Amino acid sequence: MQVWALIVDSFRESLDRKIFWVLLLIELLVAAAMFCIGFEPGRIDVLFGLWTPQTDAFTSLSGLRTDRIAGLAVHFIMDLFLGWVGITLAIIATAGFFPTMLERGAVDVVLSKPISRPKLFLGRYMGSMVFVLLHATFFVGITFVIIGTRWRTWLPGYLLSIPLMVLLFSYIYCISAWAGVAYRSTVVAVIISLAAWACFFGIQTTGDLFETLPRWKESRAAYKAISTARWVIPKTQDITYLAARWSGASTSAGLVPEVDKDGQDMVQRADQSERERMYMNPIHTIGTSLLFEAVIVALAMWRFSRQDY
Amino acid sequence: MTNWAVDLIDVRKTYGKTVHALRGVNIKVGRGEIFGLLGPNGAGKTTLVKIMMTVVHPSRALGTILGRPLGHRGKLARTGYLPENHRYPGYLTGAQVLDYYAALAKVPRPQRRANAARLLERFGIARWGDTRVDKYSKGMLQRLGLAQALMNDPELLVLDEPTDGLDPVGRRDVRQLLLELQQQGTTVFLNSHLLSELEMVCDRVTILVDGLVARQGTLAELTEHTVEYRVTFSGDAKPIRDKLMALGGTLDGDMLVLAGGGTQKVNAAIDLLRSQGLSIESVQPHRFSLEDILVEAMSGGAPAGAGQKGTP
Repeated sequence: MQVWALIVDSFRESLDRKIFWVLLLIELLVAAAMFCIGFEPGRIDVLFGLWTPQTDAFTSLSGLRTDRIAGLAVHFIMDLFLGWVGITLAIIATAGFFPTMLERGAVDVVLSKPISRPKLFLGRYMGSMVFVLLHATFFVGITFVIIGTRWRTWLPGYLLSIPLMVLLFSYIYCISAWAGVAYRSTVVAVIISLAAWACFFGIQTTGDLFETLPRWKESRAAYKAISTARWVIPKTQDITYLAARWSGASTSAGLVPEVDKDGQDMVQRADQSERERMYMNPIHTIGTSLLFEAVIVALAMWRFSRQDY
Repeated sequence: MTNWAVDLIDVRKTYGKTVHALRGVNIKVGRGEIFGLLGPNGAGKTTLVKIMMTVVHPSRALGTILGRPLGHRGKLARTGYLPENHRYPGYLTGAQVLDYYAALAKVPRPQRRANAARLLERFGIARWGDTRVDKYSKGMLQRLGLAQALMNDPELLVLDEPTDGLDPVGRRDVRQLLLELQQQGTTVFLNSHLLSELEMVCDRVTILVDGLVARQGTLAELTEHTVEYRVTFSGDAKPIRDKLMALGGTLDGDMLVLAGGGTQKVNAAIDLLRSQGLSIESVQPHRFSLEDILVEAMSGGAPAGAGQKGTP
């Protein structure tokens, strides 16, 4: 009853925020834009036949088939919209959940109720997850149908983007929640969480460079430091990569080697195999990221539980 | 079942290492009482209330609330609380506010609905039940806060400045409500700056000064020994000044002020004055108000016999 009340309250609060509607509008616009484009074998039409680009010339120039163009488009949407724009807007929309609850005068009533502080924290935390889950379900659901009907590419794995995007959001949001509890400021929570995300991106990108540039690996201390850091932090980039890969968009776009029945890459590249094992193991990627999230959530709950208001 | 609704023992709160907000407070509130907590700003009243409601962690606290240790969830569910300067989410309607906080208090849904309708009506805001609270006036918010505190039909009601923002009619309604609740057996713990209101409704009061209980007792106990008599006379009383002072009196021109001691002492002083041939012009008893007692307590004075013993 209590957790449900907290989730419902979070949902009501999110509905009250303009950014909820901005995000919904952007989702609808992106979906509408996707709906206006149709991919058929050897043919692309825009606005239901109003404009049909010369796809023969286009595909011959790029060397891509229309299904690969569709795959690329899905990949682009997942990476840019779901991975960056959507998560950023969701972080901004939910960053105020804790600071507003902890405002003077508001927190007194909540804390006086027969609910433990960890439960209160988790209820509120789950409210944010529900916010993102609803948006992700709406957007992925509607675009799944559009991709299937208008782009002639049914990607059942694309639906896995819903839990993966919620996961990705949660990796960043745990920092926002901690900052919200520690500083009781929405602005500070947004800044710290986005800065942390940028740090994660920087560490992962640097790690990629270490993997691909043998000369960098010669600096063993730096390599070890970046590898350790990379192990510890949430693998935000890898989650979007996983989402694209599991959706099948990467494969149809030709961005990753196809896999055989045993799940092994048919094309093995020596310098990538280690990276595949180390970083692209889904269990490792998701598990270590969840471990990071659990630690930050525990810290935030500890802080929340000990704080006087 | 203990007779005390609130039995606080040695409640201490220190912020950092140097700020001692509470320095060992002992308070007992009987079941069914209306209890008033008063004191100057910074005395630790709100800190004490927040400790009772688990908003602030005590540095040390023994005792019980409704027979259970502080923070017991089952008893928190039986306690209603209206904090000072409370704020409710502006995106909720009045009815939603009541439902949300009552759900957190584990009030079953049917009871929430029934209580919300009853309390919105009781506090005269039923018409605004479906209006967002960010459209409410301060007085309406205060009424909503009181309704919120009563949603779980509490055994103990803790109110911090309950009449803040209310007009005189609203204040009278609150006083009436408190008396009604008392008749129903609810214990009311009241923290208010409005001493006259405390005087009107409280059975017992505690005065906190600098984090310590300075006075505690029923209003009768607190004021019983804090009567002074002002005897005006004509003539020269200087020759018997020492004898008058021995009776506890002080001379102020043609007026003798006798603090405490009752009528026996007054009669003795009058006899003394008349034996000197002085003419008695008037004898006026002056009973201290709660405000006088508070001011005395704040200044560190000790009105004769007032207080500390006051636990019932």
